[in-house]
Amino acid sequence: MDILTLSRRQFLKAAGVTGFTALLNGCSDTTRTLIPYLAAPEDIIPGKATWYATTCRECPAGCGMLAKNRDGRVVKVEGNPLHPVNTGRLCARGQASVQGVYNPDRYRRPFTRIPKSHKLVPTTWSEAEKTVLAALASILQHGRGQAVTFLTDLTTGSERAVIGRFLEAVGSDGHIMYEPLAYESLMRANKEIFGIEAIPDYRIDEADFLISFGADFLETWVSNVQFARRFARFREPGKNGKNPFLYIGPRLSVTAANADHWIAVPPDGVSVVALGLLHLLLDKNHAPALDGKDRDRLMHAVREFTPQFVEGRTGVKREALDTMAAAFMKARKPLVLAEGMGYQDPGALDTAKVAALLSSLVPGTSEVIDFSRVSSLSRAVRAEEMKRLVDRMHSGEVDLLFILRANPAFHLPLRWGFADAVKRVRLVVSFSSFEDETGQMAHLILPTHTFLESWGDFEPHAGVLGLLQPVTGPMFDTLPLGDMLLSFGRSLKGIGMFPERDFYEVLRRSWEASDKTNLPSPNTVQSTWQEALRRGGLWGPPDEPPAVRYRPSTSRAKQSFEPQPPAASSAPRDLSFFSYPTVQFLDGRSSNRPFLQELPDPITAITWGGWVEINPETAGRLAIKEGDLLRIRSESGSIQAPAHLYFGIARDTLAMPVGHGHSAFGRYATSEFGNPVYLATGGLDGAGGIKRTLSRVTVTRTGISSLPVRTDGSPYQHGREIARAVTFRQHVTMTGDAPEVVPPLAGGFSKERDFYPSHTHDVYRWSMVVDLDRCIGCGACVVACYAENNIAVVGKKDVLKGREMAWLHVQRYFEETEPRVRFLPMMCQHCDEAPCESVCPVFAPHHSREGINNQVYNRCIGTRYCSQNCPYKVRRFNWLTWTHDPPLQWQLNPDVTVRTKGVMEKCSFCIQRIVEAKMKARSENRLVRDGEFAPACAQTCPADALTFGNLKDPHSRVAQLAGQARAYQVLGDLNTKPGVIYLKRITQRII
Amino acid sequence: MTQTRFSEVDHEILRTLLPAGRAYRVTVFLLFLGVVYGYLVVWPYQMFRGLGVAGYRPPVMWGAYLVNFVFWIGIAHSGTLISAILFLFRARWRTGISRSAEAMTIFAVFIASLFPIIHLGRPWIFYWIIPYPNQRTLWPDFQSPLIFDFLAVFTYMTASLIFWYTGLVPDFATVRDRTDGIRKKIYGLFSLGWSGTDRQWHHYGMSYLLLAALCTPLVISVHSVVSWDFALAVIPGYHSTIFAPYFVAGAIHSGLAMVLTLLVPLRRIFRLEAFISVDTFEKIAKTSIFMALIVGYAYVVEFFMAWYSGSVFERQSFLFRVIGYYAPLFWIMCFCNVVAPLFFFIKKVRTSPVLLFMIAILINIGMWLERFVIIVGSMSRDYIPYAWGDYWPNWVDWSITFGSFCLFVLLFLLFVKVLPPIAMTEVKEEVCLQIRKKEVPSGP
Repeated sequence: MDILTLSRRQFLKAAGVTGFTALLNGCSDTTRTLIPYLAAPEDIIPGKATWYATTCRECPAGCGMLAKNRDGRVVKVEGNPLHPVNTGRLCARGQASVQGVYNPDRYRRPFTRIPKSHKLVPTTWSEAEKTVLAALASILQHGRGQAVTFLTDLTTGSERAVIGRFLEAVGSDGHIMYEPLAYESLMRANKEIFGIEAIPDYRIDEADFLISFGADFLETWVSNVQFARRFARFREPGKNGKNPFLYIGPRLSVTAANADHWIAVPPDGVSVVALGLLHLLLDKNHAPALDGKDRDRLMHAVREFTPQFVEGRTGVKREALDTMAAAFMKARKPLVLAEGMGYQDPGALDTAKVAALLSSLVPGTSEVIDFSRVSSLSRAVRAEEMKRLVDRMHSGEVDLLFILRANPAFHLPLRWGFADAVKRVRLVVSFSSFEDETGQMAHLILPTHTFLESWGDFEPHAGVLGLLQPVTGPMFDTLPLGDMLLSFGRSLKGIGMFPERDFYEVLRRSWEASDKTNLPSPNTVQSTWQEALRRGGLWGPPDEPPAVRYRPSTSRAKQSFEPQPPAASSAPRDLSFFSYPTVQFLDGRSSNRPFLQELPDPITAITWGGWVEINPETAGRLAIKEGDLLRIRSESGSIQAPAHLYFGIARDTLAMPVGHGHSAFGRYATSEFGNPVYLATGGLDGAGGIKRTLSRVTVTRTGISSLPVRTDGSPYQHGREIARAVTFRQHVTMTGDAPEVVPPLAGGFSKERDFYPSHTHDVYRWSMVVDLDRCIGCGACVVACYAENNIAVVGKKDVLKGREMAWLHVQRYFEETEPRVRFLPMMCQHCDEAPCESVCPVFAPHHSREGINNQVYNRCIGTRYCSQNCPYKVRRFNWLTWTHDPPLQWQLNPDVTVRTKGVMEKCSFCIQRIVEAKMKARSENRLVRDGEFAPACAQTCPADALTFGNLKDPHSRVAQLAGQARAYQVLGDLNTKPGVIYLKRITQRII
Repeated sequence: MTQTRFSEVDHEILRTLLPAGRAYRVTVFLLFLGVVYGYLVVWPYQMFRGLGVAGYRPPVMWGAYLVNFVFWIGIAHSGTLISAILFLFRARWRTGISRSAEAMTIFAVFIASLFPIIHLGRPWIFYWIIPYPNQRTLWPDFQSPLIFDFLAVFTYMTASLIFWYTGLVPDFATVRDRTDGIRKKIYGLFSLGWSGTDRQWHHYGMSYLLLAALCTPLVISVHSVVSWDFALAVIPGYHSTIFAPYFVAGAIHSGLAMVLTLLVPLRRIFRLEAFISVDTFEKIAKTSIFMALIVGYAYVVEFFMAWYSGSVFERQSFLFRVIGYYAPLFWIMCFCNVVAPLFFFIKKVRTSPVLLFMIAILINIGMWLERFVIIVGSMSRDYIPYAWGDYWPNWVDWSITFGSFCLFVLLFLLFVKVLPPIAMTEVKEEVCLQIRKKEVPSGP
């Protein structure tokens, strides 16, 4: 992309990203004085933010990030608009990443463990290094280099290279990159069908029909922000409707909620339906990409899976299967995704294979599966490698174990006995920045910088090289991993093998050696480096057609499919069990972020702590009520969790989110309610992944009640038409109709309706349009709002009392008659005839001349009348002085007041951003341009559901959207004239 | 009151001012502890920590404190009703109870006026709602019902106090004449140099009449205005034009019940049967029946309007009221406020002090619950189902509520020991009338 085609905002952000020297002496020591710099660092202008481009490392997706640095501290992160993965957006986890830097449970210095008392005591870096070197020396002396193992999460580029060089120096090749979500089955299936063991780039936006077999690509699957962006494009209503999307799985997840149909099947039925669909399509001879022989062979392999068989096993009716097949046959580029991990599908390998086969039935699909840009996740090891490692540890083959950002003690089945095995390792060194379960077993804690304090590079998928730079100085006495390893290496092998001064030099050298043809203006190395750093990395133009098309080969596949043995539920208390990663915590690595703990789960609306889902019918049979603490027992262990009755999972099945039940992951993550992997039998599936679904667990009530802390008062709308929807046909017929909107402008006032005259808006009338058809309910906006506006985290006890402070809720309403979901982002509506304004005795809510309903904190005396009178219930009261556990207070945005007890607060449309934009416009003697800036929520929305702008300008995007026939205002009948205008969701049925 | 002479009236009534017994002192002390606990321990704790220590559970932004506010304002009603309105209507049965009913009014308004402050998030700047020239150069918003409310309550409190005090002046003089020492000086000060001249009596009579006329509309207005706090809000369950008369009727209902609650024991303890007759109680009981019917009618109309409006919000709100989370409270309220007073149709019930007292207590409970059901019940199920939530007062709410009842009883007990609890002047007027009546048949 040419830099000159950037939007103004993008350019300014990028231009703010300047050098790095000032950063290095930036801000590690806190000073409490307001004395100005004697010699000001070049890029710190007090009161002005500096933005640095870096790469998000909260999950392997590797989104591009811009980090906002104010006076030396990182306060907020946003997506990098140039980055091909996320094009400017971040998910909830990305938005919360700053809480990694300021996490109160970070290790602030190196620690060593006293062998006898097992207590951690602080140590010095030199002491720690001595310990490591002594261990290494003794290992080398005995020639046991192979006994050194380096366990990390997925890492690429320079960091991986340094680890590799270090291990080489000690004579080991034991670098294991473990990701709990390793997609073993997906990769194995791709190997068998496409001949390449990798996760390709799925171009959802290019497809015209999508089936997902349990792949929650809007939440956690592979690269959720990227997929959410593509999905939004995929679902844009066309002439004949939206591109159809079917979800087949045991749970109504966020992704399933966005499908046209969620086809509920028990976990063991997922693969059966997939095979049944393949059978039906082959039966209808719909395999244009296959030759006759292949087709016959395939047909033979799936001959058992007749529609009758499918119906018998899964309850999916023949008609449903027929319609699915018909929709599939209509599509030119149908894409089929499979979860490929075995979280929700015991037959993950079969499903993944069938998904690959289905995708290869039609030639067009090869355009949407891009194997030239395989995800780096493909390089993570299969779980079986971890088992092998544990076995090696057991048998004493590992003397020295380095652990970086991996938490096997939490992620591996108890049966494997990691905790025991690790005792046989002579020295365990944890590089973790946070205390975690694995760290409890380490002898040495050598905390590394968090990624926001580090240099580095990361390659999310082939062709994209993201750069990481420190966006804030190191908070504590931590070190970059690379520096440590270089130092170890130098001590062992001398400077000859490790000539670099520090990891930064490693990075620069690798950069100099890298291929820079994709950079716009390859000049000198230095300028390209600067430019790449400014842009956040190096990549080609986004979304080109696949360079290589892999032809599927059915002959490669081992073509026999066995149906999963049905879950035998002979005893009434025997249920099947599965778990699922969540949009908040992924596999549990983000659980120590208070923002994410307080973010309601998009579907269950539960905050703080784990739960287990059970179908109300099954619960009724077992006399289980909401909140009953259940003991779930499998043959290998038992865990506890409170019951949440949820109709969105199959009957006789329990479902549990992953990421809860940490025993030592800091104050926010620690909860007694179960880690589902502890139930796992420890067996491996055909692709080398952990068998995570269990066909039989028993559940008993403990007699204790522990209500899951939900933020939804009622899951239903009660006929109130808060979140509205139209069918696609209605949408087509009503196009051109005037919307049911009373504009929050002077034109919206009339004598019949209004007693008071209209407000005057000078130039701007800020307004937001929320497209319910685009909103996927992921909750990224909520966390962005928390981070931008210094919203307090109130904790479990107060959320239970409904006191959460979220200015923006993504309300989730179920339909009462069928398992469908409507999401409704609800923030202050900035009404033009605001009920809150007229009731306050002291003018604390105040209508600005730009249409914003300002809340003047200083004036507020706390009558709470405004909130009482707000029909939208978007005002939040500071019941107590909410605290920020130090050093989390350093995250606070200096542009936004921190509120104290006794005052009301609410969404301000990010007024600080409006003011900033207006000041800039004024200094350039112009008006604010449409789309020049956005509030934090709209800025981060991966699906572009939120649009912000000036409603007074008829050419603005909001004015255009608000004129659509789908537009409506929530509770518009109250004549509040909200400034937030919603667009109805468009539903369509294909079954 | 037959054959009573003025001096006997004085003697009999002022008996209550005699030094108190042990039981009284202990009671006062315990009540004082209750007040200290509620207002000087729990309230400061709440101020210090924030309102969150109380049981608030959004969307119920107004909890027990405002329930108490409306309850006490309601109690404050009957005092002025009895002393002013009945005075204008020349209802003679009010004589024995008007003074204590008025005292009740003053104390109740005082207690009520504290609750909105207790309820504030930042009570230390409550005075910002007072319109006065200030450094913030900001007047309060006169559109806000809270400003109406503040003005109405403040006016009512001022007018009631003056009215009460005016009636007290001749009695102060009487007490002054019968005491000595420091007490004489104090009572003398408050009697404003009353000497009982004809001119003074003339002015007194005129000002009392005028004040009665002034207070009468206030009785109606203050609770109407309080009701607008709710009726002017958009919450389903509140937003209704019936609220003003409905609240006034409710207030009178609760006020009369509170009069009975206080006077039945007072009459018994201080042996005031001569001045507070069973006939008076009967008349109050009959008024209670009337009020119960009005209140019952209001309940029914509310439901009818909710149904007739066709609004899904109104309908569900009222359905929630009868079968939802707070339904038990609603049904208790219906029984206490509407059914229980109907027993007063039975003569035996309305002439038995014990039964009168019991039913009065029921009505008090019922009226408290009515405010709870309206305020809390409506808010917990307003427009947005996602935001719904069920509130229940916790120990902080209860403690301050308890403190307010202690304060009320404490003030009343102090009142009966410090001021003549029965308007001696008016009793004496009655005596004159009786004498005159007697003289008529025996005259020439």
